[in-house]
Amino acid sequence: MALSGMRGLSVFISDIRNCPNKEQERLRVDKELGNIRTRFKNEKGLSPYEKKKYVWKMLYIYMLGYDVDFGHMEAVSLISAPKYPEKQVGYIVTSCLLNENHDFLRLAINTVRNDIIGRNETFQCLALTMVGNIGGREFAESLAPDVQKLIISSSCRPLVRKKAALCLLRLYRKNPDVVNVDGWADRMAQLLDERDLGVLTSSMSLLVALVSNNHEAYWSCLPKCVKILERLARNQDVPQEYTYYGIPSPWLQVKTMRALQYFPTVEDPNTRRSLFEVLQRILMGTDVVKNVNKNNASHAVLFEALALVMHLDAEKEMMSQCIALLGKFIAVREPNIRYLGLENMTRMLMVTDVHDIIKRHQAQIITSLKDPDISIRRRALDLLYGMCDVSNAKDIVEELLQYLSTADFAMREELSLKAAILAEKFAPDLSWYVDVILQLIDKAGDFVSDDIWFRVVQFVTNNEDLQPYAAAKAREYLDKPAIHETMVKVSAYLLGEYSHLLARRPGCSPKEIFSIIHEKLPTVSMSTVAILLSTYAKILMHTQPADPELQNQIWTIFNKYESCIEVEIQQRAVEYFALSRKGVALMDILAEMPKFPERQSSLIKKAEDVEVDTAEQSAIKLRAQQQQTSTALVVADQSSANGTSPVNQLGLVKVPSMSSSVDHNSTDPGMAQPNGTLTKVDPQPQPPSPSPSPDLLGDLLGPLAIEGPPVAGESEQNVVSGLEGVAAVDAAAIVPVTVQTNAVEPIGNIAERFHALCLKDSGVLYEDPYVQIGIKAEWRGHHGRLVLFLGNKNTSPLFSVQALILPPSHLKMELSLVPETIPPRAQVQCPLEVMNLRPSRDVAVLDFSYKFNTNMVNVKLRLPAVLNKFLQPITVSAEEFFPQWRSLSGPPLKLQEVVRGVRPMPLLEMANLFNSCHLIVCPGLDPNPNNLVASTTFYSESTRAMLCLTRIETDPADRTQLRMTVASGDPTLTFELKEFIKEQLVSIPTAPRPPAPAPAAPSNDPGAMLAGLL
Amino acid sequence: MIKSVMVMNTQGKPRLAKFYDFQPVEKQQELIRSVFGVLCGRADNVSNFVEADSIFGPGTRLVYKHFATLYFVFIFDSSENELAMLDLIQVFVETLDKCFKNVCELDIVYNYSKLHTILDEIIFGGQVLETSSIEVIKAVEEISKLESASNAIALVSKSVSGWRSR
Repeated sequence: MALSGMRGLSVFISDIRNCPNKEQERLRVDKELGNIRTRFKNEKGLSPYEKKKYVWKMLYIYMLGYDVDFGHMEAVSLISAPKYPEKQVGYIVTSCLLNENHDFLRLAINTVRNDIIGRNETFQCLALTMVGNIGGREFAESLAPDVQKLIISSSCRPLVRKKAALCLLRLYRKNPDVVNVDGWADRMAQLLDERDLGVLTSSMSLLVALVSNNHEAYWSCLPKCVKILERLARNQDVPQEYTYYGIPSPWLQVKTMRALQYFPTVEDPNTRRSLFEVLQRILMGTDVVKNVNKNNASHAVLFEALALVMHLDAEKEMMSQCIALLGKFIAVREPNIRYLGLENMTRMLMVTDVHDIIKRHQAQIITSLKDPDISIRRRALDLLYGMCDVSNAKDIVEELLQYLSTADFAMREELSLKAAILAEKFAPDLSWYVDVILQLIDKAGDFVSDDIWFRVVQFVTNNEDLQPYAAAKAREYLDKPAIHETMVKVSAYLLGEYSHLLARRPGCSPKEIFSIIHEKLPTVSMSTVAILLSTYAKILMHTQPADPELQNQIWTIFNKYESCIEVEIQQRAVEYFALSRKGVALMDILAEMPKFPERQSSLIKKAEDVEVDTAEQSAIKLRAQQQQTSTALVVADQSSANGTSPVNQLGLVKVPSMSSSVDHNSTDPGMAQPNGTLTKVDPQPQPPSPSPSPDLLGDLLGPLAIEGPPVAGESEQNVVSGLEGVAAVDAAAIVPVTVQTNAVEPIGNIAERFHALCLKDSGVLYEDPYVQIGIKAEWRGHHGRLVLFLGNKNTSPLFSVQALILPPSHLKMELSLVPETIPPRAQVQCPLEVMNLRPSRDVAVLDFSYKFNTNMVNVKLRLPAVLNKFLQPITVSAEEFFPQWRSLSGPPLKLQEVVRGVRPMPLLEMANLFNSCHLIVCPGLDPNPNNLVASTTFYSESTRAMLCLTRIETDPADRTQLRMTVASGDPTLTFELKEFIKEQLVSIPTAPRPPAPAPAAPSNDPGAMLAGLL
Repeated sequence: MIKSVMVMNTQGKPRLAKFYDFQPVEKQQELIRSVFGVLCGRADNVSNFVEADSIFGPGTRLVYKHFATLYFVFIFDSSENELAMLDLIQVFVETLDKCFKNVCELDIVYNYSKLHTILDEIIFGGQVLETSSIEVIKAVEEISKLESASNAIALVSKSVSGWRSR
């Protein structure tokens, strides 16, 4: 057959292939783009062939990863050309280079419509293809009726009709309202009577999309689907070209069975019988054969049939037959079949009553954990995780532990998390649980998250019987020559609390415990040192009568760390030293940790929170969601199955009706920390906390961060802003000005969130009890791409969701389509393209609204597309700096101002602040140590890349004023940048503490700040 | 829905990249690189499935086939059947084979536009359009005729492309 090659294109491709390196390739590409650009400018002289050639070159360049940001208008205008070749070029390039929100597309709607309703079938195909690939909401509204006409038109060829069907599917996705259910349901059913298998395949895809949203309306299609299946399964009236390796169109069979899975059930007995006959035929009639392609095709049908059988809740007999088949598959040679066998067996777990049959295959599944293919190993892990219960937990978890030492690094984290969860959920007794977690830390310490060891600590604290055992185990691990730091943490903690319970055992005297722990100190990080210090204090406390030698040793250590650079450690050392001289008072203060209040394991919560959000939720998944609630209950109910310990699923001893003193202890973050620091033990009366702290793990984490312990007034707010999903929050005090009076209160401080996001590129912009808006941004020169993550936190959908961008004049912003409804517990991502035209400090606003119940919620949020995002750090040397500085001699390019009322901060913190705004401080350029010099590059369309220089002269005697000089090659830029820096320095409204970058924690604390810098 | 179709060679050079939901050009390159990073580490006798959640987000699947110096990769969500996608790769490759008579990498490199045309007749807006390679070839031939009606374009023969390549 004829090939339509293009010589110019081939030559260009050859040139690219001959480029020895990326540099050369870029040069060649730039040359070609320049060439194309000039040729497009004098468009008159271009023949259709030339246009086509250039367009294909552009597409080739685009594929190589270069941005092609011109020619869009030309491409769109070609669509209206009268002749095929030009029109074709226009359509192709438009659908490759433009996205659905591009402004130019709007211009083409009319032309596209004319092509669709016109008589020329080739034009119809071109137009449909483009709309089907990039058509957006506006296309949906104006074209849907015409496309629908094409699908059912008897005068159209199948070639056009199948494209029209898929085109309608696209338009339906963009706006479901364009398909009028009442009118279309009958047409859809008629469409399924089609003989042409091409049209039928496309129609079936359309049907799947329609029924997945509303199966009620399409009941009449159900028997037709069964008829189609029968026709294919019996191989009646299937033309040769649709027979693939001897199998009548496997795709159509698969799609039809997929469509059937969206109907909740098949009620009509005759239809049901016919369907089961077909399914039975597929299940029994498929064998593994030599030809790989035939195998794939027949098994594609078979696996879909299995899914349908599961969905239809067939009789147990048929289910067992399916599992038997799957059991066969997971042992075959063909890796694809093994993979799918395991995957489908995992799905099978959703079906009730079949667990015991699946368990028969446990040995084979465990073998799959050692398969050479990581994809298969993952599936096996998922299945083992899913099928684990009290009866086989010991076997499975031990198998996982064994596998851990040989598993790929990519899998270890998941593996250890799953092992930890299973051990917690199904532990036959708690000492086994402790064994498992310690082994886990021992074998894969790097992959064991803090959650896991916090959890074991909670268990031990809350179960007295377990304490001597855990302490003894911890002591054993310390004898090993090299242990992971997490093991040092957990053993030190446990021994600090409970080593006195072992005192009579050999090797467990306080002195011995101390020395074996102290051996590890030189090898561990600061966060662990903090724990060790607490352990030493506890050992001292438990050594009665006091051992002067041990006391001296420990005091020496405290003395040494009193000058530690890390403020947390410094504080602990000073306080423990002072306390340990108080004798008996020590006993009260360092008493054992109180029991933790019972709550859901954060590990299990983590596992449950993993959610999937796809365009079309598969039927099985929908069912799984419905069932999840029930399985979760089953899990929670299975308490102490073998009656060894009076422990519920979480294993935590209940602390019913805590007395008020216990209550205040456990809710006090200072005390809930492991071996809590002692900031709060002063005997002054504590304000009673109204409710238990929502998440103690968060508090456990507290002392490990380098921040100092929270100050009383701040602590509550910390908890609030640090944790998600805390609805009961007294946020009234911190409602920012930007929010109108809504019935819904935001969580956290919006202004603070905004300021934090001005300095970093991802985080939460807004949160209330129903919705969370996250932001992630990437900046490149004067372009930016923000992604808004709109998350619905509820179990019911959010309606009438609207997001409008109100951009300031200097920003060009384009927000992709925001869906009107956000499904329950789903998150939608909406990319937002930003282009900076010129320097300005104005801020873009996101006007966001949604409806919950009858409440209309509307918030206006500032978007962190602020001036410093378009700065890129650059360091300049003295040789570069001074000539520039001198050449920008005075106003308006260089501006100077004395700023008063500056937030007092040490110079280092100021340097930190500058760096976090992408103004890079260049040390050594200014000989005066009280001055700062910083440089950066600013990007905008009008200025392009422009160097900016800044000098700050501070007065060490008065930190509230300074002199600032800003210089750049553009007067507006100089002014705007100067004002911007001033805003940063003067004060930040409503923020109780500086929203400086995370490391620069509490202000004017040199120790913490230095730590932040390190 | 099919999210993306990629053809790349065993050195990771893209030969065709089609995204059915819009991705900016940098993101496209990043995705191609990540996919290659996963594929190049896989042995020959393993399954054709790869977990793609970390690259394309949760719920996405990746199916690939390795032919001589080329990887053919389809990325799609959970609404498609994995083996059916694998079959579709086979249809795509068989169609190429029929169009180019024993297709090799060079045919694909030099007939970039043709490759697009063929793919557009198999997958449409992320959905399976046609599964019969005979029907696909019919449609492609029709387009070729229309194209050549207005201009005579020389065929790039293998010998020429072979001569020009390194």
